[in-house]
Amino acid sequence: MTVHNIRVGESKRGDASDGTLAEAVGGRLSRVDGPAKITGAAKYAVEQQLEGLAYAVLVESTIASGKVRAIDTASAEASPGVLRVLTPDTIISLRTASDWLGTTPPDKPYCPLARDITFSGQHVAAVVAETFEQAVAAAALVNVSYDETPSIVDLSDGKAGDGIAIDAMTKEWGDAPAAFAAAPVRICAAYNTPREYQAPMEPHGLIARWEGDRLTVWEPSQWLDGMARTYAEWFEVPFENVRLVSPYIGGGFGSKALALSHGAVAASAAKMIGRPVKLVMTRPQTFTGYGGRAATRQTVTIGADRDGVIQSIVHRGVNETSIDGMWVEPLGSVTSIMYATPNFSSKQNVVRVNSVVPGAMRAPGENPSAFGIESAIDELAYEVGIDPLEIRLRNYAEQDPHAKKAWSTRQLREAFAAGAERFGWSRRSPKPRSMRDGNQLIGWGVAAGTYPVRRAYGEAVVRILADGSVEVESSSIDMGQGTYTILAQTAAETLGVPADDVVVKLGDSRFARAGVSGGSRLAGVMTGAVHKAATSALDQLVGLAISDPRSPFHALQANTLVVANGRIGSPRGDGPDVSIAELLKSVGRDRIEATGDTMPANSTAEDRYKNYTTIAMALPHTEGDYSRYSWCAHFIEVRVDEDFGTVRVSRVVSALDSGRLYNPKLAESQWKGGIIMGIGQALLEEGIMDRRHGRIVNNNLADYLVPTNADIPDIEVISVGIPDPHSSALGGKGVGELGIVGVAPAIANAVFHATGKRVRDLPITLEKLI
Amino acid sequence: MRDFSYLRATSTDAARQAAALPGAMLLAGGTTLIDLAKCGVAEPDTLVDITHLKGLDRIAVDERGATIGALARMGHVADHADIKSRFPAISEALWQAASAQIRNMATIGGNLMQRTRCPYFRDPANFAACNKRVSGSGCSAIGGVTRGHAVLGTSEACIAMYPGDLATALVAFDATVHLGERKLLVDDFFLLPGTTPDREHAIEPGEMITAIAIPGSAAARRSTYLKIRDRQSYEFAAASAAVGIEFEADGRTIRDLRVALGGVATKPWRVRAVEDALKGKVLEPETVRAASLLAVEGAVDHGANHYKIELAPRVVARAILKLGETA
Amino acid sequence: MAGIAVSTTINGDITEYLCQPDETLLDVLRDRLGLTGAKEGCGTGDCGACSIILDNRLVCSCLVLGAEAEGRRIETVEGMAHGDQLHTLQQKFLEHAALQCGICTPGFLIAAKDLLAKNPDPSEEEIRFGLAGNLCRCTGYDKIVRAVQDAAIVMKGA
Repeated sequence: MTVHNIRVGESKRGDASDGTLAEAVGGRLSRVDGPAKITGAAKYAVEQQLEGLAYAVLVESTIASGKVRAIDTASAEASPGVLRVLTPDTIISLRTASDWLGTTPPDKPYCPLARDITFSGQHVAAVVAETFEQAVAAAALVNVSYDETPSIVDLSDGKAGDGIAIDAMTKEWGDAPAAFAAAPVRICAAYNTPREYQAPMEPHGLIARWEGDRLTVWEPSQWLDGMARTYAEWFEVPFENVRLVSPYIGGGFGSKALALSHGAVAASAAKMIGRPVKLVMTRPQTFTGYGGRAATRQTVTIGADRDGVIQSIVHRGVNETSIDGMWVEPLGSVTSIMYATPNFSSKQNVVRVNSVVPGAMRAPGENPSAFGIESAIDELAYEVGIDPLEIRLRNYAEQDPHAKKAWSTRQLREAFAAGAERFGWSRRSPKPRSMRDGNQLIGWGVAAGTYPVRRAYGEAVVRILADGSVEVESSSIDMGQGTYTILAQTAAETLGVPADDVVVKLGDSRFARAGVSGGSRLAGVMTGAVHKAATSALDQLVGLAISDPRSPFHALQANTLVVANGRIGSPRGDGPDVSIAELLKSVGRDRIEATGDTMPANSTAEDRYKNYTTIAMALPHTEGDYSRYSWCAHFIEVRVDEDFGTVRVSRVVSALDSGRLYNPKLAESQWKGGIIMGIGQALLEEGIMDRRHGRIVNNNLADYLVPTNADIPDIEVISVGIPDPHSSALGGKGVGELGIVGVAPAIANAVFHATGKRVRDLPITLEKLI
Repeated sequence: MRDFSYLRATSTDAARQAAALPGAMLLAGGTTLIDLAKCGVAEPDTLVDITHLKGLDRIAVDERGATIGALARMGHVADHADIKSRFPAISEALWQAASAQIRNMATIGGNLMQRTRCPYFRDPANFAACNKRVSGSGCSAIGGVTRGHAVLGTSEACIAMYPGDLATALVAFDATVHLGERKLLVDDFFLLPGTTPDREHAIEPGEMITAIAIPGSAAARRSTYLKIRDRQSYEFAAASAAVGIEFEADGRTIRDLRVALGGVATKPWRVRAVEDALKGKVLEPETVRAASLLAVEGAVDHGANHYKIELAPRVVARAILKLGETA
Repeated sequence: MAGIAVSTTINGDITEYLCQPDETLLDVLRDRLGLTGAKEGCGTGDCGACSIILDNRLVCSCLVLGAEAEGRRIETVEGMAHGDQLHTLQQKFLEHAALQCGICTPGFLIAAKDLLAKNPDPSEEEIRFGLAGNLCRCTGYDKIVRAVQDAAIVMKGA
């Protein structure tokens, strides 16, 4: 890590919203990994320069369903620079690894190259060559022949059927169908979201190197220990023999949490040729090499009285999964908790289609779920003639309607109030098509969002070194969300040292272990662990100062001492005042080290392994007496060209409750990032399927449209959170996923207000409005 | 990319000779060619780099017209003060194309040689049938994903949309392309797909684009390029229109009108029917909207691209009316 | 393997390298010269992460051949700071939190440098459209615009 080598040169004090020092927890400290990133000095995983590096390139299936009949590798093998061509027949045999719950699989082999094809773009072969260009050229010469069988294209395919009922997703109370039938006002509509892709700017890839039976993998990773477990199980080596290195991650959004088949191919290739191998997916390969967000379909029916008070919600959801994998996108997650209703029913099926198994993408479940319920309640608002904001307040859930528990904190009412005030919602003209500017129809929409507070146990090492500087170590990661920075702030505040004297080391599985960085849990978990480790280190330091005969404080016979700004003194300010470095020197110590973990006291080594390498020990967000969620309200203005049907988002005000913010400057970035991704989801993003080939054809960044800077207006975010002691050690809730939830329905609602057209299928492209 | 050799041409003549050899292609910016080589569509044996040749990047503008060297970069032409004032549609078309980076790389000559963005054309590994790539192999687009495909100028062999912006403006103003001594209208330089969609340009082996020339006109001086798309920037047109107008002395009666469509046809698409319907008429919104419907006469959709037939006349009408407002 | 000998100036230093005909300038910078500041997000000119300045032109280095750089002057993000002294844009990106994962950041910085060199006083719209060739997914667009606006003010006053 070189992140502290360049001085930032800006004031560390001031610039804090609540009077907090920038470098304390809650302060607006600038990103400590920023200098390395803005100078180009930060070396990402696949940028390691290794001796003897060879390059692997994947060959993918061109059919969606069938069997590989034969693979002719002769031309590729004869191509210049080629070291090896890997096929299902020639790649080394691996063992099937456990899943992310840690479920042990049957003892059977695993081949990351497919003979049985279940989707277009599946890895069937790989070429390893001296240079990347040679590998690319040779990969084009691998000739694969197939026996093709009919494929199931997507949810609308006649062969898809109703799918598999996922009973664990069923949530019911009261008698929802009867209450719906009896309700004076009834609305019912279907909402669809397409396949969407995380599209992190850094494509997936890795470098794998074997030294004997020890494997080092440089790979962008949201979960080093989980991925190390998978590699270890695949190759049947001890967990400790696998080292994952991931110092910076170029965005993940859920897609970089698991070891994937391309990783198995690269590590196998490295083992087979006895050299380090680099494999980076091309951008088109990233659309089929792993799963994006599953396409979903929901039906939402709401029965209400004429005042808009909800009597019943009946919700049915379906999402795609793959032929041989299982992905459940929990579509009833927001539906079941956002509004108070005496009667409720939600059920979900999944349908197998010939696709790569879908995966986690920013707020899996909550995101499409919110599109359904937050559109539906808007429809209800117009049906009963009540302001869309007012109807949300009228149905405000004072407790978790599903778990029947008190909210730990729910600042959603405050979010509605703050957002509406700032946006000027009271000036809204209620009728659709009643606001315009020339050819532009103007619409204002509102929607709420939420995401559960996922909690887990964490571990960190804090070291005070001889020069008084501090090291924090953890195998957790920073993919841009600010982990380096908030952990430096946590250690600095706890120990009483300047943040500039703290070096945070992340992204190496040799460090103290960490669970997944997903579900917005990492900040809460890791600030808690670092706080605990730093507290322990501080206790040791003060203990030495008080009790060691060589300490200048020994003679004081004090009970306690104060450490501030890197110096130790007595609470009253009398007596000696020495730096941490001077104290350590005087007592003859070159370091103090403490490991802190938040695991239950009686945890076994097996518990720890399970905690860090699976998600099986994650704590339910409704554990104990409380239900824990983050909340937000988005107020969005759109302008729709009445001739062209083009929608432009012209203003966004969002008020968000993420509890206490460890660093508002960086949390705001995460929120805005989620909002912008939500704008893309609402207006642009869609995997477009060739139904004859079962293949996504817009698999590049020119045709899979993500927003550009020109698509984004001024975005204002307002924090309405308060510290939530039930959600994390330091009072924060989730940040990263929250911002995107509710953006798409807020835009769809604004489009309805502008045009009078209700678009229930994302994205809202111009032909749907023309 | 398939392995190829790289040659730096030392002169225009040397470039022409080298490029006439089988398997040789001119490299004049590379934003299309290197991209297509990476897709496995372009498989050159030799790339003849001409970007450093002197004297081919000049931009000369006077009242008679503009001559733009083939190696002038799109970005330079877009920002050229005289192009902006005398040919606003040209500047606007360039400015709305691609990104700053691509405009700084792509040359005018190279831009005329830009290929379609048809996803089937760009993916030979998955879609063997493409008459544009391999004559007689079939068309994968027909019956497939067609949202971005052409509704005008299509044939049973090909429905690929011509994606460029500049050439749309060029055909509106009767620009010519110079292939050394030989000169032809840009409108004639682009070929309809017909039964030979693999042949897109009327350029022969051994020929090289050296310049384009755009005659000056009052209509070019009062012109605009309106581009409608899903994304605000960095996307090909859903529909676009290059329009130029000249009024009679009354400031209301249309003396000259030029209209060309982009994003909807297999080549840059001049629509004289709209021009003829409005010349001599007083500019009125209803008249303009009615006449603009002629822009898509004969259009044929393939399902998902039907919206282009609705959209294109509205784009034409808006562009004409916008020019009228500035009268 | 023999290669094509290329002589260039990179960030002010005369730099010579050998490359293959089919090697992009981006691959030369990253793999041969260890200048990994420019990133590869797509390889086809669709994302701008590989942006560099070539003879005063902002370009996507993924679509430039290494051989094409002969005799040309290259500026990459590694050349923006002078020793410990950050470029104003870098400083403002930090202050405004205009970066997260950091993959698009070098391209944005280089593109913003080029933008301000040509237009020292851009409007917000000119910044948003001028930088539309650089995709960010984290996404920092809003903060990037503020950083560039702030940098423009400082640089004009300098």
